[in-house]
Amino acid sequence: MGLEKSMAGITQTLAEAPPLPMTEAAYLPGVAYDEMFTAEGDVRPHYDPLHARMSTLGAEELAGRQRTLERSFLLQGITFTVYGAENTTERIIPTDLFPRIIPAAEWARIEAGLTQRLRALNLFLDDIYGDQQILMDGVVPRELVLGAPSYRREMQHLYVPHKAYANVCGSDLIRCQDGQFAVLEDNLRVPSGVSYMLANRDAAKRTFPGTYRAAGVRPVERYPDLLLATLKSMTADWRSNPQVVVLTPGVYNSAYYEHAYLARLMGVPLVEGRDLVVHENMVYMRTTTGLRRVDVIYRRVDDDFIDPLTFRRDSSLGAAGLFNAYRAGNVVICNAPGTGVADDKAVYAYVPDIIRYYLGEDAILPNIETFLCREPRQLQHVLANLDKLVVKAVGASGGYGMLVGPHASQSERDAFADAIKADPENYIAQPTIQLSTAPCLVDGRIEPRHVDLRPFILSGEKTIVTPGALTRVALKRGSLVVNSSQGGGSKDTWVLAEDHGPANGSARP
Amino acid sequence: MMLARVADSLYWLGRYIERAEHLSRLSSVMLNATLDQTDAGAHAVWIAMAAVGEPGDGAGVASFEAAQKLVLDRQDQNSVVSSLARARENARQVRDQITTETWERLNLLYLKVTDSRAAKEFSDSSSTFLHDVIADLHLFKGAADTTMSHGESWRFMMLGIYMERAQLVSRLLEVCFTDSPRHGRLDDHVALVSVLRMACALEPYLRVYTAEIEPRHILEFLVFDEDFPRSIRFATAQIEQHLTALTRSVSAGERAGPERLAGRLKARLQYADVDELKAVGAGPLLTTVVNECARIHEAIYETFVAYPLEMRLPA
Repeated sequence: MGLEKSMAGITQTLAEAPPLPMTEAAYLPGVAYDEMFTAEGDVRPHYDPLHARMSTLGAEELAGRQRTLERSFLLQGITFTVYGAENTTERIIPTDLFPRIIPAAEWARIEAGLTQRLRALNLFLDDIYGDQQILMDGVVPRELVLGAPSYRREMQHLYVPHKAYANVCGSDLIRCQDGQFAVLEDNLRVPSGVSYMLANRDAAKRTFPGTYRAAGVRPVERYPDLLLATLKSMTADWRSNPQVVVLTPGVYNSAYYEHAYLARLMGVPLVEGRDLVVHENMVYMRTTTGLRRVDVIYRRVDDDFIDPLTFRRDSSLGAAGLFNAYRAGNVVICNAPGTGVADDKAVYAYVPDIIRYYLGEDAILPNIETFLCREPRQLQHVLANLDKLVVKAVGASGGYGMLVGPHASQSERDAFADAIKADPENYIAQPTIQLSTAPCLVDGRIEPRHVDLRPFILSGEKTIVTPGALTRVALKRGSLVVNSSQGGGSKDTWVLAEDHGPANGSARP
Repeated sequence: MMLARVADSLYWLGRYIERAEHLSRLSSVMLNATLDQTDAGAHAVWIAMAAVGEPGDGAGVASFEAAQKLVLDRQDQNSVVSSLARARENARQVRDQITTETWERLNLLYLKVTDSRAAKEFSDSSSTFLHDVIADLHLFKGAADTTMSHGESWRFMMLGIYMERAQLVSRLLEVCFTDSPRHGRLDDHVALVSVLRMACALEPYLRVYTAEIEPRHILEFLVFDEDFPRSIRFATAQIEQHLTALTRSVSAGERAGPERLAGRLKARLQYADVDELKAVGAGPLLTTVVNECARIHEAIYETFVAYPLEMRLPA
């Protein structure tokens, strides 16, 4: 589904677009699924209260609230750093005023699907770092797993409590044109964004208090203490009061705000690599009163950088000897090193099979259809349909090594076809996906913008899906790129409770 | 128990906050003193510039330009804006240790002085600008005092504030009671009032000594007063108090603990002979204070931050 078609959709729906009183221009949903309006232009029932509230607010009022919101983010220091030649400046991640709302029934499905998926992926990790049964049975190609750069041989045959390799997972979901949610990507390394989920919620409560109260939104505020409980559940029983720390690359990291935020809300120290000392396979942190033992490290540093003795030698972000202490069972590293192999772009295609293999169930949340160029027949299909597909290099991320077929020229496609033929194993292809749209305040007008959904799943002794998510927004008209580095923003996500009758709680029996 | 690096950042946060306040006040007094074209005004400018380490030759300094540089020059490591930037950088490093209320005060102030409109605001009304900066720093200290737990974090920050204050006031007095190459001895009424203003001491001084402003009394007040929060004696007593509380849980062995050095300095000021000061001048005592503060600073590092690991490894 290309951009051209969606543009065509916009002009077609012009006539029946439902107008919002406070804007000069009408809200124009395209062909994509819209979160607020049905294809017929009716407001979806779960959006009714918000829609009603939006209609009573004038453009100026909305702009004022937007300014207040942005100012509060700046004041709290919820910023990321932009490095320039002369000056480094701090910017807030654009935040949209209007929440995105997900009804209870839809969420129940998402929750079940994510739980199922993470359970299977943890079992998969336990298997490939253990007996490798799934590789012997030929469900996933052996070389695909063992040859991946994110596969860490050092992790083989290590005991991981509860088989919980990925303690914090942030999967990216999208809603397809038929209204169904599907998984676009799993994030099992060091997923970020949870602080924006919490900050957005805080802001939304202040922006639309009445609507929020009446809607019956499930709270997300327990995330920090659930995270702490998850981290603590990863230690040995005999460590009575385990010392948890958050390991950050430092204040210059773009997600530093989040690291400090989580440490503060969990009440645990925020450490850098230089604060840690490993002595006789024990990890200590340097405190004012001497060295103190560390039991759990919630690391926000990539595998490559956590230990210069085991991984990259030029890294100063971790602590020398950390991995050996981990091997010896004296410290827990969360997420476990080597989880990245399970969110590899090529392994992704096998996740439905992985779920079936370990759990004997069909995947509740479908994958996006993915063609593996390593398979000759699929390769033929990809080469024949380059103008309709998005092709991604398996090893690359962040939009590099990617061809968006419908937007590319013939010569670009030809060049890419040669690259694919030369190294088919390195490429996968997916159809161009039309993300769903949600109402956003853009330059004083309410317009549809494409959004995705990143919920956060904790897994330790138990698996918990936080009833909320970060909704990322592509703020450029028609754009499908939601990454904050490329002009993306975010908005709050309201997950509605099962049964919300009248606002002021009828005393339930 | 807190991370050594965090203690370091909090300590410097305190120092930079105090430095920013002191520099703002010097600039403000300096600009005010030159409103009247008098020799005393020029003397006050010389004192302020000498106190920040740029005495020049005592010739007329363009005070507005000097003040603007002292406040807003980001290239100058020793300006108000640089001090605030560093204070905030340290606060960001320990964002999990300070309360949101405290952080917001500092962040707001930082955003104000680094804003593109700051230069215009300063040139439009420098006294309002500096007044607001000082008031915002007081709000920061108030927020820290009323919202942070008065435990280790807070004590390291207060330690930084009082260490910086003791040194800044000593430095100011050293300059005041050294003869200026151009203006000679400090005895002019206007210049003396300016000095008291630079130490934020005018009103408290008047309540003790009335409007008879004499160099001897100024020295006595700013060095030995027990209750005035900017006297050296008060600052050293605070340093001693915070260090005693902080070292309670450290077993650093027989090394010269910072709390013992601080206790000695405090006692020295507490039991000093004021008549002796009159006889030999303030110079030697002020030099002692500056040197002792430097030793305490080193001892703080040896004890809390950069200690040798061998001594602290578990048996």
